[in-house]
Amino acid sequence: MKGGYITLKSAALGWLVIVAVTIGLALRQGPAFDSSILSLLPESAQQPLVQAAIEQMSNGFSQRLILVVAGANEQKLRAAVAGMAEYLAKLPDIAQVYWQVDEADVARMRDQLYPYRFSVIDVGVRELLLAGSYQQLSDRALARLYGPLSSMGISLVEDPFGLYYESTVNRSNTLNLEVEKSLLKIVDTEIPAYLLMLTLDGDPFSPGLQERVLSAITAQQGERSAAIDSIAMSGLLVHAAAGARQAKNEISTIGVGSLIGIVIIMLLVFRRFKPLLLLMFPVAVGCSFATAMLLLIFDKLHLVTFAFGAGLVGVSIDYALHFLCARRVSSASQVLRKILPGLLLGLFSSVIAYAAMALTPFPGLRQMAAFSVFGLCASWLTVVLWFPQLTRADKQQPLGVDAKLDKLRRRFPKLDSRPLLWLFLLLPLGLACLAIRGGESQDDIRLLQTSPASLLQQERSLHKTLGISSSSRFLLVSADLLEQCLQIEEQLVSHLEELKDEALIGGYQALSSSLPSQRRQAENYELVRQLYERQLDPFFSLLKVSPTIPVEALAVFNHSAQRRLSPAVWRQQIVGEASQGLVVTHAESATVATVLQLTGELDSSAGARLNTLANTMSGVSYIDQVRNLSDLLGEYRTQVSAWLVFAYLVVLLVLLWRYKIQVWRIVIPPLLASVLTLAILLQFEPGINLFHLLALILVLGIGLDMGIFLAETEEASHTWLAVSLSAITSLLAFGLLALSDTPVLHHFGITVAIGLSLVWLMAPLMRQH
Amino acid sequence: MKRWFFSAIVLLLPQAVQAEISYDQLAQFSLTPKILEGSFNQEKYIATLDTTLISTGVFTYRRDKSIRWEILEPIHNQLLMTPSAISSKAENRELMRLDANSNPVAQVISEIFFAVLTADWEKLAPHFELSGTVEGLLWHAVLLPLDPAVAQIFSRVELKGQTLLEKIVLHEKSGDRTTIHLVNQR
Repeated sequence: MKGGYITLKSAALGWLVIVAVTIGLALRQGPAFDSSILSLLPESAQQPLVQAAIEQMSNGFSQRLILVVAGANEQKLRAAVAGMAEYLAKLPDIAQVYWQVDEADVARMRDQLYPYRFSVIDVGVRELLLAGSYQQLSDRALARLYGPLSSMGISLVEDPFGLYYESTVNRSNTLNLEVEKSLLKIVDTEIPAYLLMLTLDGDPFSPGLQERVLSAITAQQGERSAAIDSIAMSGLLVHAAAGARQAKNEISTIGVGSLIGIVIIMLLVFRRFKPLLLLMFPVAVGCSFATAMLLLIFDKLHLVTFAFGAGLVGVSIDYALHFLCARRVSSASQVLRKILPGLLLGLFSSVIAYAAMALTPFPGLRQMAAFSVFGLCASWLTVVLWFPQLTRADKQQPLGVDAKLDKLRRRFPKLDSRPLLWLFLLLPLGLACLAIRGGESQDDIRLLQTSPASLLQQERSLHKTLGISSSSRFLLVSADLLEQCLQIEEQLVSHLEELKDEALIGGYQALSSSLPSQRRQAENYELVRQLYERQLDPFFSLLKVSPTIPVEALAVFNHSAQRRLSPAVWRQQIVGEASQGLVVTHAESATVATVLQLTGELDSSAGARLNTLANTMSGVSYIDQVRNLSDLLGEYRTQVSAWLVFAYLVVLLVLLWRYKIQVWRIVIPPLLASVLTLAILLQFEPGINLFHLLALILVLGIGLDMGIFLAETEEASHTWLAVSLSAITSLLAFGLLALSDTPVLHHFGITVAIGLSLVWLMAPLMRQH
Repeated sequence: MKRWFFSAIVLLLPQAVQAEISYDQLAQFSLTPKILEGSFNQEKYIATLDTTLISTGVFTYRRDKSIRWEILEPIHNQLLMTPSAISSKAENRELMRLDANSNPVAQVISEIFFAVLTADWEKLAPHFELSGTVEGLLWHAVLLPLDPAVAQIFSRVELKGQTLLEKIVLHEKSGDRTTIHLVNQR
């Protein structure tokens, strides 16, 4: 026996070295976490260019914080806006504050665009030229000249038909903003409101940055409360801060609550602190080891994987409790030998069940499978190898509680002796199956939103008043060259005009409106030439000006024959700089893409039309992140439910080999509990979602351990105590999450709460002895 | 010669000022009826060509609702301005249309022109600094733009009248100048 002990000791030491080295290596590599939803997509569905576009769009959005400052007294408000902007611009966390339009910029913009007035023309003007309505353009110019309104500084020699003026006056203003005495005023508000757009210099998820920026804004609002009635905000920072606040809040209520609950129960049962620490230890080792392994294998660990993986590794608390409870009734040298078969089988079934997830094509589930398998094995090894050492000096003394708990168990009827009970189990099962068959599923994006409804409402109304285009829904045009993209865009735009007329979309923002393709620019110049040829002479003869004027005008026009706005020049211009985000380049695929932003509500029929439009044109795709995400959730949900069924089948086969016909005692409680839980959830939730199903994996894991440990120890009372404690601690750790306001946690928690309670209530019915 | 003339004006100015006026005073002197019709003749001086373009026609305004500005000579054109849009028609064919809410430039122009033609002092006050004189029933107001966006277009606006507005001079930054006489108002 002594020999065995030494081997165990060296194995424990070996395990310590492995854990230390793995974690050390991972730390040296540096922890890298991924939070992009896109990387959860199946690999085949990921298109690098699309992904680059989405990232570019969302990065721009995530760094942006929009403030709408409102106040009844216009003059005071303007002063407050200016003061606030200047103050905020000085903060190190804020890279830039955009709040006023400089007259110098307006003049510079004119100087930049004016030379291209014959080739970059207004869409409406182009239509008239295409239709041959030259007279109308000439009439417009005459009406401007003889009308009472300003002639807007149009030079009759350089631009007699006012083409530059036409292109500026009609330049679609996508935002509901006007420039009022240099400041950006929001159009049509009840009380005056001005816009400030901040660009953050740092990560919007950083709690420090959130705190500094938000408190600076609040302080400014307080300081200038005489002028400012309200500040509405929109931006990722606001949501991230709300999420962080909620998480903090829930950690201090739900988190602390469940921790206190667990501590009290463990103290009541063991009357010592040590078992409590021992209990946490394997879970901690398991999670750290799994994190380190995944970082080493995948380079990056997805946060979703980490969150749910850690939850699944929580099952390993079973091993620790089983060991600790068994240790009380057996000696240090005997305990492992007694419970090892149960532990091994428990681990084996859980690992098989979890590893099956790796067969799905979804990277998220694969990572989760790897995480839980590594985590479980590490926790298990920790219990098996280290616990004997750590508890060597502990006293062997039965706990008082197991006898009481055993008595309670004996009050439960036994299924073996009361066959009628089967009816009580099978009837609800039948009803539950019916309910599930008719039940709905829910893959709504709202599942993933962590912000309170009021904040989302504020965001929506702000976007509506401002007319901000959606960063999650857009058209992507890709080709080998930018010129090709622009040409495709130009075709696309005419279709979008139709959608706009049908009020399916509010509007769009296309690169080709400010930078037409070279082909289009050459066409435009030719069209203008027609206008000059037909209308220049009659126009000037009506004005009765000196005959040299039309000659000069024609000379100016001819002189610009080769002048085209090139992408390179455009990039240097104010308009180009501001629209840089609309061009997406991807080095690896050597292609380029342009983004067409859309505004408006974009309901499902608009989405369908945009999709059809994209499908009929090569190089065009419609990206709907909201839809993609819902589809993704749906696919994961289908995958997980299929996999759950598969996992039950595999486990059943494995356990059949050891327990023969008695296997039902182990499999029925988690299986029945899962089915009933789904049916119960359907009664008060809008549908079954992915997070309900993920929680059922935990129910399966804990339920199997419960059955196996009981079977392996012939339903000993200390095992019943261990598995009961395990159910209770899991209920406290995960079940309490049902109280969370974060949808994901709530769904997970409520499922664990119902499922585990049912498993625990059903387990005594299954007993044999 | 020109410079001399200018300084002479400056010297004479103190005597010419009978009384400095305020928007409130103007509001008392001038009348803005609900509906007004009349004729106009307009001279638009185009600086780059050193030419004056003359047009005549009739106008109708309904306070706060619309201004119809119909040019009869030398071209035929009808301009309809409402607080929300400007549209221009020639022989019943729409030449162009600018919606104020989607077009900030159109909004500024129409807002100011509306206020000028109806002598709506309350609307002009936030956009212009006022100076001028009152002599008996005759008033002469000079408006200097406060808003840089307006200053991009107009350098100065002069308004003259008795009970009703009679003369408008719009001085543009480009050097162009539009002088409008309103006659036969009823």
